[in-house]
Amino acid sequence: MQKHILVVDDEATIRDLLELFLSRSGYRVTAVSSAPEAEEAAAKDRPDLVITDLQLEDSDGLEMVDRLKALLPDTPMMLLTGVLFDPRVVRETLKKKVSCYVEKTAPLARILAAVQGLVGK
Amino acid sequence: MDKMVRRILVFFVLVLGVFVAVAIDSVRNINRAVAGSDWVNHTHAVILENEALRSGLYLADGSAHTFVVTGEPGDRRAVAEALSDVSEHLDIMAALTRNEPAQREQVARIDSLVSARGAFLRALIKARQSGGMDAVHSVLADDAGQLALKDIDRAVERLKQDELGLLTERDNASFMQAQMTRWTVWTGVVLDFLLLAGAAWLIRDDLAARRSAASALRAANNQLEAKVSERTAELFSANELLTAENLERSWSNQGLEHQLNYNNLIINSINDLVMVLTKATNISRVNPAVVRVTGFEPHELINRPFASLAQLTHAGTAPMVDPVAQAMKDGRDLRDQGATVLDKLGRRIPVEVALFPLRDRDKVVGGVVILQVISGGKA
Repeated sequence: MQKHILVVDDEATIRDLLELFLSRSGYRVTAVSSAPEAEEAAAKDRPDLVITDLQLEDSDGLEMVDRLKALLPDTPMMLLTGVLFDPRVVRETLKKKVSCYVEKTAPLARILAAVQGLVGK
Repeated sequence: MDKMVRRILVFFVLVLGVFVAVAIDSVRNINRAVAGSDWVNHTHAVILENEALRSGLYLADGSAHTFVVTGEPGDRRAVAEALSDVSEHLDIMAALTRNEPAQREQVARIDSLVSARGAFLRALIKARQSGGMDAVHSVLADDAGQLALKDIDRAVERLKQDELGLLTERDNASFMQAQMTRWTVWTGVVLDFLLLAGAAWLIRDDLAARRSAASALRAANNQLEAKVSERTAELFSANELLTAENLERSWSNQGLEHQLNYNNLIINSINDLVMVLTKATNISRVNPAVVRVTGFEPHELINRPFASLAQLTHAGTAPMVDPVAQAMKDGRDLRDQGATVLDKLGRRIPVEVALFPLRDRDKVVGGVVILQVISGGKA
């Protein structure tokens, strides 16, 4: 059974690349561009992992994470963003909201390792 | 048509040729045997007629002598009938030997002798009927020892022996012919058998060669398929690797682009005038606030000395040494320096200058200058 991953990013290029990469890595991927779409997709087809950008066009990624947490309390959330955080901020603040934080400049192999660490292969 | 098939066809044509030759020869020998049989029957007929002639002649001769003794008309008629039979046998013999000159000549001689004997017998009968015994004695005296009859007997016997000799020759020839037929048939059978064996050997050889070729072809195909599969797997693997590399490269590019856009967004969002200087204090980059405050377009500012745009003041007068260049050279920050910026319209705008040298591995490669317009100025 393939694990289902919900990708949320307002940049089409990033969505497409992540969808292609994760599909080739053996996951079933649903890619959406906004928070409402993400909530609708999560309600319709429960994901095993949510990967989201921090800055979305229509809302803040962390706010959306809060709403998804209410809907999917056991589902891990991965923050994938180009905004560079202070490691202390990540450790003290983001860890409470997301399971994992990965920079968008990180290699795909590191993203895959993080995904596998959260949902398995 | 390939070479092997042509060879096999040649073999079968030869087999057919031998078969036809044997058949023709056999038919010819059968015809000869039939003809020989006709000839034998014909020869036997001549011999039988010859014997019948001799019997008839003896019968005529005996009946004539009996008539001389008895004078009975029945005996005379017996002589006439016997002579008539002899004459009939002679005619038949003449007919049977008409195509054979030697026998025909012998029959003619017998005919002549028989005619003479017939005349003698008729003379004897006539003498008995007319003249009595004296005349009979006179006629019989001419036939003392019955030499004429013995001549006829010898001639008849010679003809018989000649015919028997011919029969023997024909029998030998017939035997030889039968032997020849047997030899021909068996030779043909053996030859055909050898040819068929040769054809079978060629067919077997051809089949073995075809099987071997088919096997080699199958092996080559299998080898080719294995190579194709191997190559396909290699290409698939290489394609997968290439796709993964392309994906990684695209991801890296988007990451860098995203980061660059984000950095630009930060700088462009600052309301103060931000400029990046080279180590020689030439302007290499400006934010939109610089364009908005000075009226210069970016291309009018790039590569222009910073000092030509902004002049630092020191207690109301321009310093003898450019503090920006000095701070850049020393690799130290410069803060809260009073200066004026000359905009595109020639107006002087009072600003406070801060310089932060850009370091790359402890080496100053340029600097960032922030100009904050003093309240009451243009910005």
